[in-house]
Amino acid sequence: MFPTPIHQRPIINQYIYKVFLPISLIIWLIPIFGILMTSIRGLGDITAGNMWGTPSEFLLFSNLYDVFTNTPMIKYTLNSFKVTIPTMLGAVALSCMTGFALARYKFKTNLIIFFIFIAGNFVPFQILMIPVRDLTFKIGLYNTITGLVLFHVAFQTGFCTLFMRNFIKALPQELIEAARMDGASEFKIFWKIILPLTRPAIAALCVLIFTFIWNDYFWATVLIQGDHAMPITAGLKSLNGQWITAYHLLSTGSIVAAIPPVIMFFLMQKHFIAGLTLGATKG
Amino acid sequence: MKKVIISLIMMFGIISSTSLAGTLVINTDTSDAAPKEAFEYIIKKFEEENPDVTVKWNVFDHEGYKQSIRNFLNTDPPDVANWYAGNRMLPFVRAGLFEDVSDIWKDSGWVDGNLSENMEHAKKSMTIGGKQWGIPYTYYQWGVYYRKDLFTANGISVPTTWDDFVAACATLKAAGITPITIGSKYLWTTAGVFDYLNLRTNGYEFHMDLTLGKVPYTDPKVQAVFDKWDELVKPGYFLENHAALSWQEALTPMVNGEAAMYVMGNFAVAPLKEAGLRDSNLGFFQFPEITPGIPMAEEAPTDTVHIPSKAKNKTDAKRFLIFMSRADVQEEINKILGQLPINKNSSVKKGDPFLAAGLNMLNNAYAMAQFYDRDAPAQMASEGMKGFQEYMSNPDRRQKILERLEKVRQRVYK
Repeated sequence: MFPTPIHQRPIINQYIYKVFLPISLIIWLIPIFGILMTSIRGLGDITAGNMWGTPSEFLLFSNLYDVFTNTPMIKYTLNSFKVTIPTMLGAVALSCMTGFALARYKFKTNLIIFFIFIAGNFVPFQILMIPVRDLTFKIGLYNTITGLVLFHVAFQTGFCTLFMRNFIKALPQELIEAARMDGASEFKIFWKIILPLTRPAIAALCVLIFTFIWNDYFWATVLIQGDHAMPITAGLKSLNGQWITAYHLLSTGSIVAAIPPVIMFFLMQKHFIAGLTLGATKG
Repeated sequence: MKKVIISLIMMFGIISSTSLAGTLVINTDTSDAAPKEAFEYIIKKFEEENPDVTVKWNVFDHEGYKQSIRNFLNTDPPDVANWYAGNRMLPFVRAGLFEDVSDIWKDSGWVDGNLSENMEHAKKSMTIGGKQWGIPYTYYQWGVYYRKDLFTANGISVPTTWDDFVAACATLKAAGITPITIGSKYLWTTAGVFDYLNLRTNGYEFHMDLTLGKVPYTDPKVQAVFDKWDELVKPGYFLENHAALSWQEALTPMVNGEAAMYVMGNFAVAPLKEAGLRDSNLGFFQFPEITPGIPMAEEAPTDTVHIPSKAKNKTDAKRFLIFMSRADVQEEINKILGQLPINKNSSVKKGDPFLAAGLNMLNNAYAMAQFYDRDAPAQMASEGMKGFQEYMSNPDRRQKILERLEKVRQRVYK
């Protein structure tokens, strides 16, 4: 088995592991701890340079109150759901179909199409910024949730297709042949045989895409201008005052914004880990 | 989808039905909390006083507005738009997009008292080609904020001349206190210092000529400004590592008593007080005189309202501008904003020594500069401020920086 489990390693390695694990864990968690600490402070502490010491006042609830009353935070959260859920459904639905086609049908350009899907993943999205902005503007989808969703679906489908294609490819061919013998149509094979079997992959993809899209900041700022469609990640910047960067409110807002993906993660933890390894090992 | 269509139809219905009565369309960039509240308040008040007018108010994102205004002044002009005084409005005035409102300034009998008298000190920054192009409604002062207790402990009194100012810096430095804090990470703070040094060394007219691109950056008068700046930079009177800090982070040494002064706008007072400073240990003074006899102009970025020349409802737009110039209205707006009214007959919130000091200083000012990045065009301002920051970190590169800025000037003001 690779990697070798730690308790089978030499004793010295086990000690090194035991010492360095907590250290790296602490270093890893310092920024998060910093955000948590800042979210209970007031601006006074921050201006006075008291970043890591004991907060002079406990203001978590008043910060939370400010976050939800000073800015349309509830609207931003709703917008985030309106962007994330359709994208998740759209990208997963499309990639189930493309994945099935690419995995199960032999046609001339099969490999080329598959490579195009993969290649799409390697285009840095900063390069696409201006053309995509122009495109959505000309179609009339600039500054709308629909525009953002369509773009995300298009961009995420590449990765999802790679994932689904490899998963479907690993299913036994005999199942499909048996169905064909019984006279099932191609659509029926997809619907009754492939989809039920790919359920773990679909669940894993859903969780992955949900977190990807929820955390998207870049495209939200490129394609969205007004409060009406702004998702929460980009909306956080409106917590700043006219002159002041309100670090305490930004921290509180970030925690609020992080809650849905964290809940999603704990609910679907098994699928999430499966999702990260599935595409890598099969195919 | 059906719902959306129905609500769209209803919206159009409402818009078209109200446009029959006097509809006044107002576009503003007041997306931040306090300015938004201020406009909510005055629009409500205006509608109460003028029941025949319905206001349609569009709030734009503060940053996005700078782009949007170019579009909407041409294609879909509102009746009133807010903007900024000085050279910032110059391109729109030149392009004929703003209406001449000199008649309001000349007092056509609509206003309480003579507007030109009540706002005389702000008239220069609203005037282009001998005419006025808008009404200012709020501004705030710049100057030197300082720690009173540190001054007292070191036996320093508030400096009014350049020599006193430099001497005060030397005393503080000797006592182990950073004389002037500044955070130049986002560049603009350096422009505040430059503006004041130029206004005090060469005067308002020269400063305007420079920001309008009429004078080369290699001019001996600009060199003179940097000579004065040298007197502060070379002995290390500014905070070390200022290039790594934002303006806000540079407040920390002042709160902790490690730095004594900050050349800043009045918005610095709120966070300083929140961090524990009080009126007893935080003070304000006017930037000291450098060349004796030059009339004292101040830095006071001013927000204004204008009528686009293509506006449909200019009659009500004028009523709104006159309304905005009134002493009582300006008093209310600025109470919400925490800033200063321009009308001399307005008063400010009692018990705020900083507002009182600012009001007194600005009411007696010779003229108002609008801040370097508003007075100079965007490209020049961004290169200029980069240059100022570089100079503050490496004063020896001054000559090269000025030559570079001169090249930029020739390119930008073609």
